[in-house]
Amino acid sequence: MSGIETVKIIVDAEKEAAQMLEQAKVRAAAIRKELSSHINVEREQMLAAAKNEADAIVKRAEEESKVETEKYREDATQKLKEMITRASARKVAAVDKLVSIVIEGKA
Amino acid sequence: MSETSKFTIDILSVAKEKAQSIISEAEAETKRALEEAKGDTSRQVSDILRNAQTEAKAVRRRLLSEVRHRLELREQEEKGKMMSEVLEVTRKRVSDFAKNETQAKYQSYLAGLIGDAISQLGLDEAQVHLNEADQKRVDKSSLEHEVTKTLKMPVKVEWARKPIEAMGGAIISSTDGRTRIINTLDERFEALEPRLLIEAGKLLFGD
Repeated sequence: MSGIETVKIIVDAEKEAAQMLEQAKVRAAAIRKELSSHINVEREQMLAAAKNEADAIVKRAEEESKVETEKYREDATQKLKEMITRASARKVAAVDKLVSIVIEGKA
Repeated sequence: MSETSKFTIDILSVAKEKAQSIISEAEAETKRALEEAKGDTSRQVSDILRNAQTEAKAVRRRLLSEVRHRLELREQEEKGKMMSEVLEVTRKRVSDFAKNETQAKYQSYLAGLIGDAISQLGLDEAQVHLNEADQKRVDKSSLEHEVTKTLKMPVKVEWARKPIEAMGGAIISSTDGRTRIINTLDERFEALEPRLLIEAGKLLFGD
C-alpha cells in the first residue's frame, strides 16, 4: 500500500467518525426537542385537568351551598314565622303591661 | 491486520463511543428534565386544587353568610315592626285612658300626678295646666281636695286658663312660672319610650 493510499484511508475514517459524531449530536438534539415538546404537552394536559377539577370543586361547592342555604333559609323562615305567631299572641298582654308602666310607673 | 487498519478501527471506535456518550448524556439530561418538570407540574396541580378547595370553602361561607345576614335583617325588621305596633297601640291606650277612664279613677290618677310634682317642687301654692278636655271634665275643687289629701298638707292650686296640648296629665309650675314639672301622659310616654321598647322586646320575643 502506498503512502497516499494510507493517508486516504485514514482521512476517510476520520470523515466517517466526524459524520458519526454529527449524527449523534443531531439525535441528541432531537431527543431534547422531543422531550421538551412531550413535557409541554403533558404539563398542559395535567394543568388543564387540574383546572377542570378545580372548576368542578368550586361549582360543586356552589351547588351544595345553594341546597344548604336554601334549607337554612326555609328553617329560619319557619322559625321566624313561629316567632311572629308567638309574639302576635303576646301583643295584648304586652300592651297591657306597657300601659301600666306609663300610667303607674315612674318616668 | 495492517497498522493502517488498526488505526482506522481505533478512530471509528473512539468516535462511536463518543457518539454513544452524546446520546446517553442527552437521554440522561432529558430524563432529569422530565422528572423536574413532573415535579413542578405536580406542585402547580396541587396549588390549583388547594386554591379551589379554599375558594369552595369561601363560597360556602359567603353564601351562608349572605342568607344569614338577609334573614337577620328580616327578623330585625319584623321585630321592629311589631314593637312599633305595640308602642303605637300603647300610646293609643294611654290616650284612651285619659279620655275614657271613669272620671273618679282618672281624677284620682291626676291628683297623684299633680301631688307628686308639687311635692318634688316643694311648693304650697302651684299653678296647674290641663288639656282642654280635662279642663271641662274635671271637678277642680274636688281635684284640689284630692291633691291636698294626697300631700297630707294644705296646698293652694291655681288652674291655668290656657289649655295645654297633651293626651292627659298636667303641667305643674310655681305661680311665677319659674319652675315646673311636665307630668303629661305624652311626656311620661316619651321619657319611658326607651324602657318601653326594651320591655316590649322582652314581652314579645322573650322565652
